[in-house]
Amino acid sequence: MKRVLFALIVIAVVFVAVPSLSAADAKTLTVWCWDPNFNGYSMKEAAAVYNKSHPEVKIQILDVPENIEGKIEAGLQAGGAGLPDIALFQDYVIEKFILNYPNAFVDLKAAGVDYSKFAAYKLGPMTEGNKIYGIPFDTGSTGLWLRADYIKAAGLNPDSYQKNMTWQDVINLGVAIKAKGGKPLLAYDTTSFDTLRIMVQSTGTQFFNKDGSLNLRTPAMEKSLTILKELNDKGLLYNAEGWNNWVSAFNNGETVGLLNAIWIIGTLKSQQANAGKWMAVPTPRIENVQGARNASNNGGSSWYVFSSSKNKTVAVDFLKSVWASSTPDALNFYNTILKGAGAMGTYLPSRSGSNYTAPDEFFYKQQPVYKDFAAWMENVPTLLYTPNYVAMRDAVKNAILLMFKGDLKTVSDTIAHAEAEYKQVTGR
Amino acid sequence: MNKKGASSRYLDRVGWLMIAPAIILYATFNLYPILSSLGMVTRKWQGMRSTYIGLGNFARMLNDRIFWQSLGHNFLFMGIQIPIMIMLALILAAILNDVRHGRGTLRTIFFLPCVTSLVAYSVLFRMLFQTNGLLNNLLMKLDLIQSPIGWLNDPTWAKATIMIALTWRWTGYNMVFFIVGMQNISNEIFEAAEVDGANKRQQFFRITLPLLRPVILFSLVTSISGTMQLLDEPNVLTWEGGPANATMTAALYIYRQAFVLNSDFGYAAALSYIVVIITASFAFIQMRLLGRRDQ
Repeated sequence: MKRVLFALIVIAVVFVAVPSLSAADAKTLTVWCWDPNFNGYSMKEAAAVYNKSHPEVKIQILDVPENIEGKIEAGLQAGGAGLPDIALFQDYVIEKFILNYPNAFVDLKAAGVDYSKFAAYKLGPMTEGNKIYGIPFDTGSTGLWLRADYIKAAGLNPDSYQKNMTWQDVINLGVAIKAKGGKPLLAYDTTSFDTLRIMVQSTGTQFFNKDGSLNLRTPAMEKSLTILKELNDKGLLYNAEGWNNWVSAFNNGETVGLLNAIWIIGTLKSQQANAGKWMAVPTPRIENVQGARNASNNGGSSWYVFSSSKNKTVAVDFLKSVWASSTPDALNFYNTILKGAGAMGTYLPSRSGSNYTAPDEFFYKQQPVYKDFAAWMENVPTLLYTPNYVAMRDAVKNAILLMFKGDLKTVSDTIAHAEAEYKQVTGR
Repeated sequence: MNKKGASSRYLDRVGWLMIAPAIILYATFNLYPILSSLGMVTRKWQGMRSTYIGLGNFARMLNDRIFWQSLGHNFLFMGIQIPIMIMLALILAAILNDVRHGRGTLRTIFFLPCVTSLVAYSVLFRMLFQTNGLLNNLLMKLDLIQSPIGWLNDPTWAKATIMIALTWRWTGYNMVFFIVGMQNISNEIFEAAEVDGANKRQQFFRITLPLLRPVILFSLVTSISGTMQLLDEPNVLTWEGGPANATMTAALYIYRQAFVLNSDFGYAAALSYIVVIITASFAFIQMRLLGRRDQ
């Protein structure tokens, strides 16, 4: 009997408590992101800044490391049930959500955000007609990271490579180092599309046409694949399976370098033994392709407010007054997260912060890497993702793998294979 | 007579009452979604947008080689991995059934893999099987191979890796059923066989195996339907069915169509009905086989 009584009490408590919890203080904002050391940390810092002037708002940051998009998709299917007020989206997935879920997000342009102050390339994916839905977060401004000590060991001068190079220059460098018994030039993750994406975007060429159809037969694509094939054939790539192997390849000194974005800086610095050895040079340029430049982008994400949120006004005010404002507090916030997590924002006025220009002890000759990447960011072309970006990405990635294996002999075959797979998977 | 009828009616009512929560939950979370997904198969259903396209999803499916290839991988895993696993499980069960000391401990050890966290085990397997991983290093040290095998990188070897992982995970699970089955065989039968001069081998093949038939069939049924729904291993261990779709399975492909690619719920629902039909026909055949024995 006692047990039954106890059970009844538990049930009663649950029924009484749960509704009161969910209807809790209207001033609680919930934010979903996925990396407590990077975007989660940044959001926490932003919350602290906002709480200085709005102590009554509680900002709860939840780390959703696994399948955040699937969870959001399920919530949107359920008409917003269980969704947070604010969520972080990868720039490459947001077009799919904006298109497939009309009115799911709050139009922040209408809410008065000044978008002229953000890096222009970030706005493409979050814009639909006159509406702009997101607050741009970090940049994926890319560069070529190289080990100065390995270049020196091959009898070359690292300083003479700190310039705008072409891919031919880079291949020559790799061959020269290899000839002296050095390591392969680049760590390459065979499960990732990043390298090719960086190469193609550096030319401003799109993977899709304006109408959303696939556009892989481009000089940029053909040239990029040719370069990749040459790198692989000459043994200049260290092929690693998956992120972890890829990271340990360059952090353990198995390669001379890697091609990726500024956000890899935290990973590089986690290997303190390499202090003083790394340097960053501009993304290599593809020769003889129109629009090619020494800048590109990989990754990056942005914040969105769900229309289903009960605290829309507060959520918008929070994002606006910390993430899109030139007040000293807001600018100082961007300066803090840059140093604290290597998170480089895309809010242009923030680039005046002291941490942007400071020499960095970790790098060869104290290179002020943030300043360099921020400068390169200005030249990044906008990429058109479309809702089918992931299907395209995986089809091309798979084709490259088969090209490296020798199953696909030519660049043309490789593109044809990717086009065929894309057609199968998307039915268009 | 009358009394018995009343009590059985009463029992019925209590019985129904007892299973009512399960039925309600099943109907809400299984039956209703299944039935409502039927409404999706005739639509192009992406996110919140949906238009009626009749049999369009099925027409698209006919041209989708990647899907049929994925389904082929399910059958490949089934055809190779399940027989190996059942045989291993039988051998282990026969050995453990004879072991006198530490049987419980050994049984636990063999059973552990199937209750291990999927992520933990996939991460470990990745570390073992990567190009510069433990397994390749060991094989090279023993001079069994000249150059590292692309366990995760090579389309053929990756399939083998998935099968090895599945065998590691589920052999102990099936073994436990076989041990229980063996213990249910009366000792008198073996004693009688021994008197008749049958050796251990003959006893195993002539007595143990035939009497275990229902248990083996049960294992087959669960393994086959499990392999038809295979998703986790190729998703985590070989990076979303990689390399180049070499380990893509039907269930993983359906999941990707709905949640990773372009929110194509209509197409995903249509594909899943194909898998349901195949799984159901397997189950039907197997139930017929099981039923024959019971008669």
